[in-house]
Amino acid sequence: MKFKESLFSRRQFLNGLLGGWLGAFLASILYPVLRAIFPPEKEPDQVILVSSDYAGIPANTVKMFAWGSKPGLLKKTEKDELVAFVGVCTHLDCNVIYLPDQKKFFCACHDGWYDENGTNISGPPPRPLRRLSVTVEGDNIIIKKEGAT
Amino acid sequence: MKPIGSLKRIMAGLAAWMEERLGIEAARDFLRHKTVPQNRHTIWSYTGSLLLLFFSIQVVTGIILAFYYRPTLEEANKSIARIMTEVPLGWVIRSVHFWSATFMIAIVFVHLLSIWIIKSYRKPRELTWMSGVFLLVFTLAFGFTGYLLPWDDLSLAATKVGTDIPRSIPVVGAWMTKFLRGGEDVSGDTLTRFFSFHVSILPLLVLALIAFHVYLIQKLGMSLPVGADEKEEAKRAIPFWPNFVFREMIVWLILFGVLVTIAVFWPPSLGKSADLMAPAPEGIKPEWYFLFLFQTLKIFPAKILFISGDTVAVSLILLGGILFFFLPLLDNRPAGRKGKVITWIAFAFILYAVAMSVWSLLG
Ligand code: FES
Repeated sequence: MKFKESLFSRRQFLNGLLGGWLGAFLASILYPVLRAIFPPEKEPDQVILVSSDYAGIPANTVKMFAWGSKPGLLKKTEKDELVAFVGVCTHLDCNVIYLPDQKKFFCACHDGWYDENGTNISGPPPRPLRRLSVTVEGDNIIIKKEGAT
Repeated sequence: MKPIGSLKRIMAGLAAWMEERLGIEAARDFLRHKTVPQNRHTIWSYTGSLLLLFFSIQVVTGIILAFYYRPTLEEANKSIARIMTEVPLGWVIRSVHFWSATFMIAIVFVHLLSIWIIKSYRKPRELTWMSGVFLLVFTLAFGFTGYLLPWDDLSLAATKVGTDIPRSIPVVGAWMTKFLRGGEDVSGDTLTRFFSFHVSILPLLVLALIAFHVYLIQKLGMSLPVGADEKEEAKRAIPFWPNFVFREMIVWLILFGVLVTIAVFWPPSLGKSADLMAPAPEGIKPEWYFLFLFQTLKIFPAKILFISGDTVAVSLILLGGILFFFLPLLDNRPAGRKGKVITWIAFAFILYAVAMSVWSLLG
């Protein structure tokens, strides 16, 4: 098929070609720079704890472990089960504390409260505390992201 | 109302608003009329703009490296290992930083030597030359301080030797060594000090000097070859924008391509973390740009009459540096005169530096 008139002039075509090439070139320079600005994700895939250090804690108490650079909270429930949370408030990232006598997690930053299952009950927190999955294998307690196997 | 038309009107309004306050038009008008001479020496004027390119690359990659680098004894080496292995494309950034530094130093030498040989330093460009010599010294200082930062065996040994050399300068030497090291010995304080030199003191100094240097070049214009006819030259000159800038861009693109290619295929290595107590590794050599000085120091005997050989060698090197700095005052003939002796000295120096470097590499 042949057009009677061209859709764009030769100058437009060349400008587009050159400009497009220049854009692609700049993008290829920018790409590694932007990639390198952010460090790789620090969240661990799993954390392995030694049972003897952690399993013996009394019911209704919490013991801390390091979940990457955040505090992980390992909790023994009243039914003697082990559950784990990321101990970081879902409001604005403050670290929370467990208060055994009130059976609640408390965030001091803006007076946020979670019940013993980590569900947000009062104050600004919008979501429950993040849960981690806990499995006991031999002498180890293995903590993983929820849903990961 | 067509949307494109109104967008254009808004942009025009915005441009006018800006113009009223910034007065860019004067600068643009100036650029439109600026010309660059075209002659057999023009090729050397590309080296200057290339230095700006490589300096900018150093700034960008250096900032990113500084995001991750930690200047402490325990972590310096580890943090670079992390850049090389964990940070996304971190190894490319470090490799480009390393190679761009190498290119930059090489081009600084070419830049100065070419100006020496074509004698562009003559009146009224003496200060341009002198600020250029300072820029050379600072560029070498960048290389020297940057070399320590990975904190591996080689860089520690090189820094020990390098910071010990000023000690043989009479009177102020011992103090200078202490200042460079942050104490009597190379230690963790040397590392933080070099980091501070490398990322804050030197960049500030160099930026200020570049501004001064470029201002002078702009104010005085490009020099013409010895014995050139001014009218003829003016006729042949080409506009700075866009003719000259586009030509420059071609050179930039080519060298940038070469740089990135080399950087991707030959990333710099990283030795294991340096141990202050360990014996020095064998066969240590400085980076290539210090080889000729290194070899010069080596060939001097331990004692000359009653003075130490090092003191004589270092004093001679310093004297050479001072003469080099004052070159425009020593050769203060008018720009139109030839200067065979000066040219020969330049070539003799190149020959000497190359020969010494090769000797050092072989020996
Ligand atoms: S951060 Fe926890 S309540 Fe605001």
